[in-house]
Amino acid sequence: MNENYKIIGRSVPRMDGVEKVTGSAKYTSDLKFPNMLYGKILTSPHAHARILSIDTSEAEKLPGVKAVITHRDVPDLKYGISPARWDENIFCIDKVRFVGDKVAAVACLDEDTCYRALRLIRVVYEELPAVLDFLHAMDEGQPLVHDEYKRNINTEIHQKFGDVDKALAEAYHVRTDAFKGQRTYQAPIEPHSAISMWDGKKLTIYSSTQTPHYFQHYIAREFSMPMGDVRIIKPYLGGGFGGKLEPTGLEFGGAVLAKITGRPVRMFYDRAEMFAHNRGRHAQYMEITTGVDRDGKILAAKANFIMDGGAYTSLGIATAYYAGALLPLTYEFDNYQFDMHRVYTNLPACGAQRGHGAPQPKYAFESHLDNVAKDLGIDPMDIRIRNARRPNTVTPNDFGVNSCEMKQCLERVRVISDWDKKKKNHRHGRGIGVATGSFVSGAGYPIYRTDLPHAAAFIKVYEDGSAATLYTGAADIGQGSDTILCQMAAEAMGYRFEQMKIVSGDTETTPHDFGAYASRQTLMSGAAVKEAGEEVRKQILEMASEMLTLPAEDLDCSEGIIFSKSMKDKTLTFEEAARRHFVVKGPLLGKGAYTPPKLGGKFKGAAVGTSPAYSFGAQVGEVEIDKETGEITVIGIWDVHDCGKVINPRLLHGQVHGALSMGVGESVWEEVLFDDKGRVRNPELGNYRILTALDMPPVYSEVIDDSYEPSGPWGVKEVGEGATNPTMGCFSNAIFDAMGVRVNSLPLSYEKVWRALKEKREREEAEKK
Amino acid sequence: MYMPDFEYHAPGTMAEACKLLAELGGKAVILAGGTDVLHKMKQGKMTPEHLVSLKNLDELRSIRYEAGRGVVIGSLATHNNLYTSELLQNKYLSIPMAAHSMASNQIRNMGTVGGNIVNGVPSADLPPILIALNSTIRLVSASGERSMALEEFFHGSAQTAIAPGEILADITIPDQAATGSTYMKFGLRRSGALAVAGVAVTVIIDGDIVRGARIVLSSAAPTVMRARDAEESLKNKKVSEKLLADAGAMAAASSRPRDSIRGSAEYRRNLVEVLTKRALDRAITKGHS
Repeated sequence: MNENYKIIGRSVPRMDGVEKVTGSAKYTSDLKFPNMLYGKILTSPHAHARILSIDTSEAEKLPGVKAVITHRDVPDLKYGISPARWDENIFCIDKVRFVGDKVAAVACLDEDTCYRALRLIRVVYEELPAVLDFLHAMDEGQPLVHDEYKRNINTEIHQKFGDVDKALAEAYHVRTDAFKGQRTYQAPIEPHSAISMWDGKKLTIYSSTQTPHYFQHYIAREFSMPMGDVRIIKPYLGGGFGGKLEPTGLEFGGAVLAKITGRPVRMFYDRAEMFAHNRGRHAQYMEITTGVDRDGKILAAKANFIMDGGAYTSLGIATAYYAGALLPLTYEFDNYQFDMHRVYTNLPACGAQRGHGAPQPKYAFESHLDNVAKDLGIDPMDIRIRNARRPNTVTPNDFGVNSCEMKQCLERVRVISDWDKKKKNHRHGRGIGVATGSFVSGAGYPIYRTDLPHAAAFIKVYEDGSAATLYTGAADIGQGSDTILCQMAAEAMGYRFEQMKIVSGDTETTPHDFGAYASRQTLMSGAAVKEAGEEVRKQILEMASEMLTLPAEDLDCSEGIIFSKSMKDKTLTFEEAARRHFVVKGPLLGKGAYTPPKLGGKFKGAAVGTSPAYSFGAQVGEVEIDKETGEITVIGIWDVHDCGKVINPRLLHGQVHGALSMGVGESVWEEVLFDDKGRVRNPELGNYRILTALDMPPVYSEVIDDSYEPSGPWGVKEVGEGATNPTMGCFSNAIFDAMGVRVNSLPLSYEKVWRALKEKREREEAEKK
Repeated sequence: MYMPDFEYHAPGTMAEACKLLAELGGKAVILAGGTDVLHKMKQGKMTPEHLVSLKNLDELRSIRYEAGRGVVIGSLATHNNLYTSELLQNKYLSIPMAAHSMASNQIRNMGTVGGNIVNGVPSADLPPILIALNSTIRLVSASGERSMALEEFFHGSAQTAIAPGEILADITIPDQAATGSTYMKFGLRRSGALAVAGVAVTVIIDGDIVRGARIVLSSAAPTVMRARDAEESLKNKKVSEKLLADAGAMAAASSRPRDSIRGSAEYRRNLVEVLTKRALDRAITKGHS
C-alpha cells in the first residue's frame, strides 16, 4: 500500500463550488431553448377510480395550447424500473390508482396557459373503494389495486438460512418486538424537471436525474428507439436521495409533446406534485425476534415485515429484499429467517430513499437489541461489541465481507462520545443511545439484466498537456462525485488536480455508467477512472522514456512532473511529454471500465444486497427530553465510519452531516400524512418538517484511518447512505435511555414521547394503589 | 404554481387607498407583505379580482412612542422591523421575541404585523402578546376611522371585526402597569414552525404578590382567547410553584383546542398548561422578556 498519495486524501475544494455558491450554476429548470414550450401533467383527484371518458376538446381550443395528450397518444407499453414488476403506464388507461396518478398532459406557450388548459380537460371518473391502510391491504374482500395481484401482494419473500427454530429453542433468552416505520419523502431542494427536444429521429432530454443511463434505457425501450438515438444530459442537480432514480412522466410526456409540436418542451413538478409523485421511503411494520445466549451473543434472528408499496412497484421490489438482506451485516449470527410482504395500496408509490430499505429495519433491530440488552442487564455498547462482525467473514445470506472495522467503530465511538461516563452518571432527562449500520458500496448487479460493465471512463489530455478532461457517465447530484473522480484521475495519471476538467452525466459524450444510486460511484466509477488514469500514465512514461532515453521502469510521474528514480536531475514536465505524444503518436487518451466479480449465493433473491464491499459505522446520539412536553433536544451525535480509504475528507464529512440531517429528520419530525381520501395532507415544506439549519445538532464525525478495502480502488468504500442507517435506532435508544420507555413507531415525535411518559406515570400510579 | 389573474393597484396615499377600496368593495383584497395572500391565491383558496397594495403608504411602517398614547406600531411594520426595533427591545422585549419566533428570516422580512392580525388565524404569534399588553387598533376607511381593543377584533377562525374597505392602520400599546410580559410558543422545530400552542402573559408584581395578570392563548381555540379563570386565580396571591401550576391547569381547562396534523387536542391542552406555568414564571422573574 503506497501511502504517499499527492491528490487523493486531500480536501481539495469541490469543482462546482464557486458556480453553486454564486448562483451561476445552471440546473435543468434554468435552461431555455428557442421556441421552448411549457408542459404540465393532469393528475387524478381520486385515490381509486375507473376512467369513463376523457374529453380534451375544450383544452385544445384554448389559445396558446399547442398539444394535449392522453394515453391514446403514447405507447401503452408498461414500464417501471424493476423489470420483474413493470406495472406503470405513461398515462392511465382504464383506471387511476392514487391521488396524483398521471392522466393527461399539455404543452403551451407559457406556464399560466398550462394551468388553464388542465382545468378544461374533462375526465369522467367512477370512484372505486380504495385501499389506504397497508396493514389491511391483504385482507379478504379488500378492493384490488391491480387485478392481477391477488390480495394486493406485490412482492412476497421467504428466506431461511441455517436452523432458526433449533437455535431459538436452545437460546437462553428469546424476545420479540414489533415496530412501525413511517412513510417519508426525499424532499430534494431542486424540483424534478425535464426538457425534451427532437432533431429528426434523435431525442435529447435534459433531466434532473440521478441515473442518465437508466433513463436512456427506459426511454429507448418505451419508444422502441435505438439507445444511440436517445441522449440524456444531466445538468447540475439539487439533490436526489433516490427520488430521481426513475422516469417520472416528465420525460415520457415531454418527449411526446415535443414530437407532436416540433418544439422543445419543458416539464416540471411543483412541490406538491413532487409529494404526489413521491417514491419515498415505505411505511413498514416490522416484527423482530432474536434468541441470545447468556452473554447476549445472538444465535438466531427472525424478521417478519409488511411494507406499504403504494400504487406501483417503482424500485420497491429491491427495497423489500434490501430490508431483510442487509440486516445480518453488522452483527454475526448464522441462523436467519426473513419474511416480507410488500403490498399495494391506493397511495403514491414508494421507492428508494437514502439507505434503500435498510434504515427502518435497522431502527427496529437496534431498538430490539437494546431491549434484549436490558433484559440481560448488559450495557448496550457491550452487546454490540460482542456481536460485531469481523473482517473476511460471510453473512448467513452469502454476502462476502472483506474489510470490516465494525468493532473498532464501536470502540472508538464509545471513547469520543464519553459513553461510559455518561452511562454511569445518568443526568436527569438525558439519555444516550448507540446503533450500527452498514451499506453496499454499489450493487453487485444492475437494475435490469445486462452484461455491460457497471462503469467506464475516458481521459483526454489536451494537445499541449495543459489540461485533461475526464469523461464519465457518473452523476454528480450534489455529493461531489465530479470532484473526487477528478482527484482519482489526477492521482492515477500523476497529474495535477487543478488542471482537471470533467464532462459527466451525458449519455452521448461520456461512456456508460449506471449513475448515482446504491452508493456505487466512489468504488465502481472510481475503479474505471483509476484504470483510465493509469493508461494515460503508462503512455506518458513511455513517451518520456523515449525523450529522456531512460527505461520506462525507471520513470515515474507525480503532480505533473516526470522524474527518474535513479537520476535526480532527469525530469520532464507532463506537458512536454504530452505535447510530444500528440505530435508523434496522436491523441493521448486513457480508458477504463469496471465490472464487479460474480457475487452472492444461489437462492431466490440472492443478488439483492450483494456488493464488492460494505461500509460499517456506529453512531451515538445524546438527547435531552423535556418531560412535560416531550420535546427532544439533540445534544450531539458522534459518528465513526469505516469507509475504507478517504479520497476527500471534507466531502466525506459533508456526506455524514447530510445523512445525519436526513436521519434526524426521519427520526423525530418527518412523515408524509394522508387524509381519508388518500390525499397528502402536508405536501409542502412548512408541515413536512425537514431539519432547518437551526435544528442541526452538533456532529462529531470520524473515520477509521487505516481501513482498507481490497476490492476498491486505493481501498475505498461507500459513505453517503451508510451514515443514514444507524440514526433512527440510535435516537430510539437514546430516548429509551432517557425515559425508560420505548416509542415503538417512527417518527419519535414530541407528542409520542410525551404520551409514552404520561402512560408510564399512569401505570406507576396505578401500581402504587 | 398557478396564479389567477388580478388587477394590481398601489395607491400613493391613505386617502386614495380608502377611496379605491370603497369603490372596489368585495372584489378587492389588501396586499401588505403578501406572505398569506399570495400563498392562498396560488392554492386557489382566494381569487380576488383586485389587489390593493399598501406598499406606498410609508406612514404605516413606523414604530414610535407618542406621549399620552403609548407605543404605536404601524401595520406595515414587518416582523423583522419589530424584532430589530430598539424602542420595543427596550420597553417590551416580549414583542421582538414573539416576532422572532415566527416562520423564517425571509418571511419575517416580508410579513407584516397588520397581516398577522387581520388574517385572523388562531396560530398567529403576535395577537396573543399584543392582547396581553392591552393593545388597541385603529381601522381607517373612506367613511372615517374607529378604534377598538384588539381583544374584541377576533370573532372566530379567520373571522374578524374588519369591514370591507377598512385598513388596519396601526396598533397602540398603552403605557403599562404590567411589570413583566412574555410569549412562549411551542413549535415542532426551531424555525419555520407554526405554534402547536402559544401562551402570552403579562403580570403586575408587587414584591412577591401578583396584583394582576393577563393570559392569552394561541392555537388553543378557534380564535385567540383569554384564560380569565386562570387570570383571576392569581390576583393578590403570593407567587408559588403551586400557584402557577394551578393557573396552568385552569388555562388548559378553559382552552378548546382541536386535533390537527401538528398535534392532538389532548397534547395541545397539556402544552397550554405547561406553557402558561412557564410563561408566568418567566414574566414574574424576568420582566418583559
